[in-house]
Amino acid sequence: MDALVAKADAIKPLFKKRKTAHDARPKAGPSKKPSHNPTTTSVSQHTALPRSLRPSSPPPEDAKKYNHIHNKKLRTQLTRQSTQNARAKKLVKDAELLLTEDAGLMEVEGELEKTWRVGQDEIMGAAGQQAAQGRQEWKLDGGPYRTRYTRNGRHLAVVGKKGHVATFDWQAGTLHTELQLGETCRDITFLQDHSHFAVAQKKYVFIYDRDGVELHKLKSHIEPTRLEFLPYHWLLVSVGNAGYLKYQDTSTGQLVVEHRTKLGACHTMCQNPHNAVIHLGHQNGTVTLWTPNLPHPAVRLLAHLGPVASVSVDPSTGGRYMATAGEDGTVKVWDCRNWKGAVRTWNSRGGNAILDWSQKGALGVATGGSVNVYTKPSIQTPFAAVVPPPLYLTHPIPHRPLTSLRFCPFQDILTIGHSAGVSGILVPGSGEPNFDSSEADPFENKKARREREVKNLLDKVQPDAITLDPDFIGSLAPTPKLTTAVNSSHDIPYARLPRHERLRVSGRADETEDGDNDAVGNDEDDDGQKKRPLTKADKEKKKMRGKNKSLKRYLRKQRKNVIDPRAVAVRAKLEKEREQRRKAQAIASGAEQPHKPSALDRFKRPS
Amino acid sequence: MVKISVLQHAPSAHLPQRPGDPTPTSRNLDPLMHPFARARERTRALNAAKMERMFAKPFVAALEGHVDAVETMARKPDTLDVVASGSWDGGLIVHDVSRRTKAFYNDQAHKGKVSGVCFGQEGRLLSCGVDRNIKLWNTERSLDDENGAGPSQRKPVSIFPGKSAFNSIDHHRYDPLFATGSNLVQVWDETKSAAVSNLTLPTSTETVTAIRFNLSEASVLASIGSDRSFTLYDIRTGKAERRIIMQMRSNSLSWSPTFPTTVLLASEDHNLYTFDIRSLNNPTQIYKAHVAAVMSCDWSPTGLEFVSGGWDRTVRVWKEGRGSAPEVYHTKRMQRVMSTVYTGDARFVLSGSDDGNVRIWKAHASDKLGIITARERAAIEYRESLKARWKADAEVSKISRVRHLPKPVYKAAQLKRTMLEAQRVKEERRRKHTRAGENKPKAERKKVVIAEQS
Repeated sequence: MDALVAKADAIKPLFKKRKTAHDARPKAGPSKKPSHNPTTTSVSQHTALPRSLRPSSPPPEDAKKYNHIHNKKLRTQLTRQSTQNARAKKLVKDAELLLTEDAGLMEVEGELEKTWRVGQDEIMGAAGQQAAQGRQEWKLDGGPYRTRYTRNGRHLAVVGKKGHVATFDWQAGTLHTELQLGETCRDITFLQDHSHFAVAQKKYVFIYDRDGVELHKLKSHIEPTRLEFLPYHWLLVSVGNAGYLKYQDTSTGQLVVEHRTKLGACHTMCQNPHNAVIHLGHQNGTVTLWTPNLPHPAVRLLAHLGPVASVSVDPSTGGRYMATAGEDGTVKVWDCRNWKGAVRTWNSRGGNAILDWSQKGALGVATGGSVNVYTKPSIQTPFAAVVPPPLYLTHPIPHRPLTSLRFCPFQDILTIGHSAGVSGILVPGSGEPNFDSSEADPFENKKARREREVKNLLDKVQPDAITLDPDFIGSLAPTPKLTTAVNSSHDIPYARLPRHERLRVSGRADETEDGDNDAVGNDEDDDGQKKRPLTKADKEKKKMRGKNKSLKRYLRKQRKNVIDPRAVAVRAKLEKEREQRRKAQAIASGAEQPHKPSALDRFKRPS
Repeated sequence: MVKISVLQHAPSAHLPQRPGDPTPTSRNLDPLMHPFARARERTRALNAAKMERMFAKPFVAALEGHVDAVETMARKPDTLDVVASGSWDGGLIVHDVSRRTKAFYNDQAHKGKVSGVCFGQEGRLLSCGVDRNIKLWNTERSLDDENGAGPSQRKPVSIFPGKSAFNSIDHHRYDPLFATGSNLVQVWDETKSAAVSNLTLPTSTETVTAIRFNLSEASVLASIGSDRSFTLYDIRTGKAERRIIMQMRSNSLSWSPTFPTTVLLASEDHNLYTFDIRSLNNPTQIYKAHVAAVMSCDWSPTGLEFVSGGWDRTVRVWKEGRGSAPEVYHTKRMQRVMSTVYTGDARFVLSGSDDGNVRIWKAHASDKLGIITARERAAIEYRESLKARWKADAEVSKISRVRHLPKPVYKAAQLKRTMLEAQRVKEERRRKHTRAGENKPKAERKKVVIAEQS
């Protein structure tokens, strides 16, 4: 169409308005280039990229090039994507400006000074007025207490063994509800936020709202001992004396799945906040990891030589480390990527430790009458000797037993539940200083809370998406291990192979059988005669008659192309007989010496 | 000396200063603070795909007025919503689409079918019919017409008699010229009563079914004919410049408004083709989805999309360059779609069908009509990007891909697929049993054009 378009180009447009527009365009084409393409000139002003769509800045240098790709569309798309990625990577550095607050810390100057010598009074003196609020002693009756914070760290729920339940905003000091349930209560957990909480009571799990009104009695959770709530999946998880792990969807009310652990009553449970896997500690010393979509544990680990007392997962490293404590008095830190032995082991005084791991990776260990806090690099580096890591902070509590340990999110506070109530101590450097308002905001108002509840419901992740590796969603599917082709030699699918081939592929074919026809009959025609085809007379002569016929028929009948122990035994017996015959022949012909009996024969195994 | 500092949040930094202020937000982009980010994003993408399908209500309105099938439609250039339509009973209507009223109406514009309409300058409307006449109408309301009996009684400004029944008409973009297609291609001047020139190739004996002027090179004219041809003319040289013969005849053609060398043909073989006129030996893209002949096509003013209507009673909206899976519109009562046109704002699509209705559809089925606030706009754009990002996910893609089709269309598609597959298999077997290299496979795009003449 060159001629046509060139001719079209030669004609002047007719309208004035159009003329000016036409003339205004730079006449770069013909003057600069000797090879003037009329089509290009004609088309260019209509086909140029609009100014708004032109790239504003050149692409960064470290963007990946895709010059080797022939398909133009694909190449453009890939180049654009890599440019965007490179730009985004550069911009991530700027995001550090958003982190405005500083973490707490406790540092010593000399070798001789130790942080664990610093007591709570001294820390309180150094802390600001707001922070010092966290040092609390609540004296409560009603047995050992357990506690739980909401995800934004603003609200606290406590439950006593004898049925005293209270939830309150500990910062503002407002009590939401206080209940005397009058029966054994074993655990408490908030649901999506402080507006609902669940209590594991004597027989069932009950759900209450913020004002303490009983909303639901979950009759399928029988004799629950521990509760967890998976916030992104809206699942309430309970484990009980019967050893059943139950997942209940709190948004639909449906009991999603129940797993029988087959390991008896369970008193220890925690969740990995990064992949929503449930860790259970059992009476026989095993720790099991559960997901809703597997009927058996994803990981089963023999952690202790006695019942497991406590399990906790490190949130600061993306759930990479797990700490377990046993009633044998040891505390172990495990690497969840590689279960071969603990990273670090030590004995805690007083046995029976309770563990919790803070957002910044401080590990609290409550044993006997004191709480010890260890910090990060030392507890996670492999260390062979069974000695405690350097202590960061310690605090004695006279009210045994210590039953619960919780770090407050976004605060430097560790809350301890014990037999005389609940106490809070300050642990500088344990809390994450910068919260994200889109995830958990301690300062959110009522409207924001409602909006977040709706948003989270819309973003609810399905329970079957829980796996050990949370990044599998959106990643490429691995190449399937099972292909239809059997191996490189067959491209026929397994199911379509003949039976003998199938047995051979699966390694169960009886390959020895072909040999045993001649093995039975070929005693006389061993050598020399093989190449020459047998005449009819020869065949007649060699035809076996009578000899051992019933046994041969038995073997033939037994041929199922599957290795059968009886057929193997018969074959071995035949082999042995043949060997004896051969030996006798050899001795008779003088080729071999007969075996002379010796004194050592008495030690020979009879065969 | 031990250095101690304990974390504390200043409430003044996180609470609004005065009542009514927005609550300050803080951000921490550490991925550990955002667990399950990908899983949650996928859920959001899934919801976005579902919402798109939930809000997909493309039908807006039907414009009545024609007694018989709507044969042809044309949009007035430089307006958004003025569309003229002509029908088999000789009726001619100019619709004001946004008000859904008739700006001009004549139920006896022609004897027999109105086969083509187009707009000229300053509100002049040209129509041609099988009664061998071209009529020029003035659709603007003039003063002397006010006291008349109304718009339906208007007389044509002038009549151009022809020698044979006309099939199509199109107006030059700037000049007072127009071209018609009958058994030959003629160029007319609005001020002269006879044709100015005759452009037909001396060898052709075809019936020209449609003609269109190029939008940027306004003197280039394209036509399609019943002898399966597509021809390009230049009215300045007065000659046919180039011609191709295709496998099957085309029913409609349309020039791209943004890419002047691109032309779209709606073919009888159920496909649409875009050609670059610089190389006519094969199409740049084949668009396959219709299950019967495609009767009409029209580009969106953006040049990124186009609409086609087919004998299979569906309207399909295509993306330029994407040869499959178009948006498909159908109703129980819509019959064969004989004409389709985009409105000037690229938001609506009009279809004229055998049942005598002109239907208004949204160009994007799930678009919201009416005012969209900035927040809503941001949410919509976020959903769009989510869908684009997760389009490879099996569930997301399935939701946004699957369309409900009327049973006859569904069955026809199934049958067509079976037949094509059988053909392919047969071809393959035939190739397998001929001597090696004798019977090579031919690319689909190379099969379309049979001969090229210039």
